[in-house]
Amino acid sequence: MRKLLIATLAAAVPATMALAQSAENTLKARQGFFQLISFEMGGLAAMAKGDVEYDAEAASAHAADLSTLMSLHIADYFAPETSNADLPGKTRAQPVIWEDMDGFMEKATALNAAVETMAGAAGNGLDALRPAVGQLGGTCKACHDDYRAKSF
Amino acid sequence: MSAGTNEPSGEMWDPVVRVLHWALVLAFATAWGLGKFGPAQMTLHFYAGYTVAAIVTLRVIWGLIGPRTARFTSFVKGPRAIAAYARRLPNRAPSRTWGHNPVGALFVVGVLAVLAMQVLSGLFSDPEDYINVGPLAKYVSYETTQRALALHEPLSTLLLIMVAIHIGAIVFYRRWKGEDLVTPMITGRR
Repeated sequence: MRKLLIATLAAAVPATMALAQSAENTLKARQGFFQLISFEMGGLAAMAKGDVEYDAEAASAHAADLSTLMSLHIADYFAPETSNADLPGKTRAQPVIWEDMDGFMEKATALNAAVETMAGAAGNGLDALRPAVGQLGGTCKACHDDYRAKSF
Repeated sequence: MSAGTNEPSGEMWDPVVRVLHWALVLAFATAWGLGKFGPAQMTLHFYAGYTVAAIVTLRVIWGLIGPRTARFTSFVKGPRAIAAYARRLPNRAPSRTWGHNPVGALFVVGVLAVLAMQVLSGLFSDPEDYINVGPLAKYVSYETTQRALALHEPLSTLLLIMVAIHIGAIVFYRRWKGEDLVTPMITGRR
């Protein structure tokens, strides 16, 4: 009985957490999450473009950090009523994210797959890194096109 | 061919104007189509955009140094001439304008300006996907890259509307006014 209660509570935690946080804090967490993705991806893209010399160790570290980021439970970063319709000027997340959660999750799944490809490619030389950056960047674009407004 | 007594003879549109016109049709269609439906890695869209930039630049230079019908000073007219031509526009008769008419001139200048803005907004855009960053985005602030990004898509819609108006005007001249504007843009002569 006790065990069951704990399990129920554990399952309920994310939802109550989401409700307990202010919209402002949710935005901070969400934008911080994407800021981290952007930072790691930026390091990889700079190598892919030749702006920075390729370094297998640094590339692997960026890829590993991206994989870590993918293990976060991001559902509460997308708590209801935190779209740009709810909070104009503060976020570019469009209401369609919540209206079409299945489509949005497909984009997230594609991101996950691209990060997985990157984990296997980043340390294996520039020729392996480049297409992985292309694939990962493509998942950024696909989601931005449909779910992110072009301006705040 | 000439109906009027004082109609100039020879080519109405010189080869440079014609080649730039049809090159723009191809480059714009390519850029627009790839932008909307192309692959996520937009390298070819970028090349099409650079081509549009080159065409617009050459057309502006040609508008300063080219032959009479190509030159801005010969076809850009004041509000009175524009209003006078607009009043005659519904007449069911060919305009027999040698070169751009005063209303068409507005469109020429307008479309060149919007194309230039579209090229610039593309060059400075950063869609934050790391694969399609405009080549000049790194020289300006983040805010500027995002303002450019916010402009790029609405301008593409505006350009599509302008193309529709352009084609609509050609159909109007053909059907209503009995004037063929397409042949001269291909052969130079009417």
